[in-house]
Amino acid sequence: MGREKRNTVNDASPTVDLKSIIHQHSLFFDTLVELIPAKFYLPVDDDEKPWFQGLSKGEKALAKKESRENIKKARRDRLDPEKSNKTTLDLLKQNLEKEKSNKESDDDEEEIEIKPMMMSDLEGDNRSVTYEELRQRLHRKIEELRGGRNSGSSEKAKKIELKREKREIHLKKRKREFGSGEKKPTTSNPSDKVEKDITEAAKELAFSHVKIGNEDKHGKNKKRKLSKMKELEMARKLEEAKKDPEKGEMIAKKHSWKAATSRAAGIKVHDDPKLLKQSLHKEKKRHQKNVEKWNERIGTTQKLKADKQQKRSENIGERIHQKKMRKIEKREKKLMRPGFEGRKEGFVNQNAA
Amino acid sequence: MARFKNKKKGIFKSVVKKKQQQQPNVDHITGDKIPKSFVFSRGKLPPPLKQLEMDLRKLMLPYTALKLKEKKRNNLKDFLNVAGPMGVTHFLILSKTEAAPYLRVARTPQGPTLTFKIHEYSLAVDVAQSQLHPRCPQDLFKNPPLIVLSGFGNGDQHLKLATIMFQNIFPAIDINTVNLSTCQRIVLLHYNKDTKLIDFRHYSIRLQPVGVSRRLRKFVQNHQVPDLRSLQDVSDFVTRAGYGSESEADDEAAMVTLTSDLGRVNRASTKSAVKLQEIGPRMTLQLVKVEEGLCSGTVIFNEYGPVGDQKKDDKEAKNQDDSEESEEDVEDEED
Repeated sequence: MGREKRNTVNDASPTVDLKSIIHQHSLFFDTLVELIPAKFYLPVDDDEKPWFQGLSKGEKALAKKESRENIKKARRDRLDPEKSNKTTLDLLKQNLEKEKSNKESDDDEEEIEIKPMMMSDLEGDNRSVTYEELRQRLHRKIEELRGGRNSGSSEKAKKIELKREKREIHLKKRKREFGSGEKKPTTSNPSDKVEKDITEAAKELAFSHVKIGNEDKHGKNKKRKLSKMKELEMARKLEEAKKDPEKGEMIAKKHSWKAATSRAAGIKVHDDPKLLKQSLHKEKKRHQKNVEKWNERIGTTQKLKADKQQKRSENIGERIHQKKMRKIEKREKKLMRPGFEGRKEGFVNQNAA
Repeated sequence: MARFKNKKKGIFKSVVKKKQQQQPNVDHITGDKIPKSFVFSRGKLPPPLKQLEMDLRKLMLPYTALKLKEKKRNNLKDFLNVAGPMGVTHFLILSKTEAAPYLRVARTPQGPTLTFKIHEYSLAVDVAQSQLHPRCPQDLFKNPPLIVLSGFGNGDQHLKLATIMFQNIFPAIDINTVNLSTCQRIVLLHYNKDTKLIDFRHYSIRLQPVGVSRRLRKFVQNHQVPDLRSLQDVSDFVTRAGYGSESEADDEAAMVTLTSDLGRVNRASTKSAVKLQEIGPRMTLQLVKVEEGLCSGTVIFNEYGPVGDQKKDDKEAKNQDDSEESEEDVEDEED
């Protein structure tokens, strides 16, 4: 009975009380969720994890540096009061919206309809805040663009700023005049002209080489060394082309400049047929010498082998011979009786007669 | 038997001498060949030019032979022969004629030669004497300098060649593994289109934190105990900032945000000002000739046009060189 009574009491104003109760519950849960950092609450996509194992040393260094910088940047953005701080709740909402767009089914739409109804009170406050912020940001951006459109020089100044940010790592110095000219984009004519000159000069700066690490390897794999014979052929062809009456001079000039620039850059250029011939000759001689040496080695090993074999067979023969001699000795010893000296070797007068 | 073997090894070890430390041919980190250079002179030079030669040698440190000794009878061929096994890639040759001193920059095996006429030059000692606080920290020459070329543009071929040549004289920087403290010197080359002259300058780089008062900075850098006699409290010392230094009126352009700490004073992710102080020689050069070979070969660019003979006679009048003979041969071929 009591339960029924309570139920009837509740049924009297179901929607309002229910709504407010649910609203309070959801507020409570939202505050709880906001306390948890997004890193731990939201499901992590496995694809986003950094995979360091399959890379080479240079690539690993790059990737690690990137991830470190990303972490730093993310931390700064998180703690920056001016930038928008997305709470865990906002990120969760984003994820849900993404799922929504992925699924596209009726059932989900119904569920989603219910959700916005429930959260309408909440979102009303949040939305207004974010709208204001967004509006302000938009205004700021428009002003910036407007300001940029009026004076062309500040555009160049922006380009220069970008360039400078890139070069911060290298610590290259800028000329003082250039720097001061940049800071005062006034509309007075002489300083404008100076600035234009300076910015033009800035476009023509060249620095020492910087290694980024990944690019060269791919390039080297593609290039292969041509065999010397082929290089010789190419060099000869080039010479003939130079002798050609019509285009010979142009080809010669082009080739000299190309060769000079690549030699200055450290790339070896083989274009002299004489030198190529010489090196081919040297290689042949080297090869011949090696062949000779090899044959000599084979010869000596064979000789040694033969010598050893011979010595061995000699020794064996000797042993057998010695064995026989010993046997004969033994046999003859028996006949060395006093008065008799060995075997009968015939009559005393046999040979004389 | 094993014991005997060990004893023998021990004896050998004590006999083996330590090998002298050689300069690496290949950079451990990038795997590329490090370019090395020889700076020498051909013919007799007056004392100021000899000083210039020494200054250039110091500039090219550490990848050069500081105490290279050349004799009168040494030819270019001798240098070439030595350069091969030692891995030397560039030659910087100073010479003097009645007209002017010349500097030739050449790439060794058969590379191109750029001939520069030196219009004006100042020695490192002169530059140091003209400064109030000349600066030369100890390990300034332990690392190769950076190079900046300006005004060369993308147009003319001889300028492009000069850019590439100078870019390859100094080893490349690997940004993944470079240490900020190794970038201490910088060489600046500026090309003036109107006068066709190249300005050559050599600076040392110094980083100073911005926004710190001079007293504090000096205190942290030098660890010298300041004089607090006239002050009531340490806070006076710290807060009496001052006017900053006079060069605080620095523009934004010369400030960078460091990625890592450098020395005692500069901290990462704070702004520091880049200050350059000139050391080393100052030269005004004019590119007059580009030859295809090492001081030989066809002349592919000549400032004064195809009138080559007069200049060449001028240049090599006093020198007894193999290269001279070969040049004359080339002249004959050309004519």
